Amino acid sequence: MNTPTTAAPGAPVVELDLDELRRDPYPAYAELRRTAPLAWVPSVGRHLLTRYDDIVHAEKLPEVFSSREEGSLLLRTVGPNMLREDDPDHRRLRSAAEPPTRPRQVRDRWADAFEKTAHDLLDRIAGRGEADLIADFAEPLVAANLALVLGLRGASAEDVSDWSRAMMAANGNYADDPGIWLRAERATRAIEDAVAEAVTAARSEPDGSVISSMVHADPPVELSEIQNNVKVIIGGGVNEPRDVFGVGAWALLNRPEVLDRVLAEPASWKRVFEETARWVSPIGMYPRQLTREYEIAGVTLPAGSRVALVIASGNRDESVFERAEEFDVDRPHRPHLAFGGGPHFCMGAWVARHEVSALAWPLVFSRLRGLRLAEGTPASDDGPAAGRLDGWVFRGLTSLNVTWQAA
Amino acid sequence: MPTVIFRSPDGTAHQVTAASGTVLMQAALAHGVPGIVAECGGNASCATCHVYIDPAQTGPVGPPNDVEDEMLDFTAAERRPTSRLSCQIRLSDTLDGLVVHLPEEQV
Ligand code: FES
Repeated sequence: MNTPTTAAPGAPVVELDLDELRRDPYPAYAELRRTAPLAWVPSVGRHLLTRYDDIVHAEKLPEVFSSREEGSLLLRTVGPNMLREDDPDHRRLRSAAEPPTRPRQVRDRWADAFEKTAHDLLDRIAGRGEADLIADFAEPLVAANLALVLGLRGASAEDVSDWSRAMMAANGNYADDPGIWLRAERATRAIEDAVAEAVTAARSEPDGSVISSMVHADPPVELSEIQNNVKVIIGGGVNEPRDVFGVGAWALLNRPEVLDRVLAEPASWKRVFEETARWVSPIGMYPRQLTREYEIAGVTLPAGSRVALVIASGNRDESVFERAEEFDVDRPHRPHLAFGGGPHFCMGAWVARHEVSALAWPLVFSRLRGLRLAEGTPASDDGPAAGRLDGWVFRGLTSLNVTWQAA
Repeated sequence: MPTVIFRSPDGTAHQVTAASGTVLMQAALAHGVPGIVAECGGNASCATCHVYIDPAQTGPVGPPNDVEDEMLDFTAAERRPTSRLSCQIRLSDTLDGLVVHLPEEQV
C-alpha cells in the first residue's frame, strides 16, 4: 500500500497552525465541521474528520479505517502493539490483557488499594492548605494505580510518570528531535527490564495484573509483545485519567452552584465524569489509514489515505450536543466519543471511571475543606484560563493550583 | 429469517428481520433501532448494548456468558434477571418472534 502524502482529490485543503491548535483547537474544529468536515491539513499531514456521525461511522468500520498506520511515530517509539493492530491480532492481545481492567475486577481487586493511595497522597498535602492538584495528587495517584494494575511491582509512581512523559513526547515528535528520541529509548528500555522482571514473578505467582493475565493467557503472549503493550498502556494511561480529573475539578470549582448539587448527590459524579470527557476529551484525535478507496463526508479517499478521527471535535458537534461548548452535567445524555469506539474502545475506561469519579473527586472535595482555586488562577473557562489547558492530540490542565482551610 | 421486535421505553416497536446467525446488536444497528449504542462494537467491553429479554422468552435465549455477566453489573440502567448484552446473542430460527425491551439509558 503506498501512502499518499497529499490531499485526496476533491478534499479541501485547510491550513491550521499547530501552536494555535494546541492553545485552543475548538474554533478551528467548529469551522471545519461547518465548511470542510473532511479536510487535508498540511501541518498535520492527515485528513481531519470532524463530525460526530462520520467519526462514529469510521470507528465502526475497522476493516476500512485500519489502525495499522505506516510510519507511525507510536510504532517507532514502542514497537508493534495492539493499538496499531487490527483484528485478529489486536483481539488476541486485547483479550489477553483486558480481564484485570473489567469493571468487576476494578471494584473487587483494585479499588481498596486505589483508595488507600488517594488517602496517602491527601495526608501528605492536607496540612499545607495549598497544592497543585495535578502534580501533587492526580498524576502520582493514577501512575501508582497504573503500576499496580499492570503488575509492575518494582516500579514507583514516579518511574511510571517519567516513562509516560518520555514516550508521549516521542509520540508527538514530528520535529524529529534527537534528544526526545533518546529519552524515549531510555524509558522504553527501562520498561522492558521492569516487565521482564514482572513476567518472571507472575509465572510462579499469578497476581491478577495485566502482565500476569498476558503471561497466563491462552495462547500465551510472547515477552516482547507484553513489553510493547505495557509501553503503550503506560504511554496513554497516565494522562487520560489525570486530565479528566483536572478538567472536571476545575470546571466544578468554577461553578460553585453545580459543585454544591454534585456534593449533595454523589451519584452524579458519574455524570460529571462523562460530561468532562465529552467537554474536553483527554485524547483529542487518533489516526487511521484506509485499506481501500472509500467515500466519507463527500470525499472519495484513495486507499492508503491517512485520516485523523478528531473525537474532540465530534464531542462538540452542535448537531448532537446542544450548546456543545458548555460544560453541563444536566444535558440530555448522548454517548460521547472520548473513549473511542469499536474494537479499540478504551481498555482503561472502567479503571478511569472508578479511580476518578468514585474515588479521587469525592475524596478531594470531602477532605480538603473550603477548596477553591488559588489566587491568580483564572476563574472562568475562557481567556487566560486557556493558558493552563494545553494540547490538541492530548488535552488537559498543566496545573491546578488550589487552596483550602488546612486542618 | 428470524424476526425480532425491539420495544422502546415509550412503547414504540421496531420490527427487524435478519438472517440466522446475525448478532442481535448488529441487527439493531443495521436497522437504526434507537437505544442501542454499542460503543465497543460487540466485544463485551462497554455495556452500552444492554437489553431486557421478554420474560417469557429467556429460556430459548439462554443465560449470559461469564464476561457478559460481569459487564451486566455495570449497565447504566438497572440490571434485571432478564438483562443481556445484545452483542452476545446470536439470532437463530428458534428465536423467531423474540421481543426485547430497550432500557432507558445506555451510558
Ligand atoms: S457492544 Fe459493547 S458490550 Fe456489547
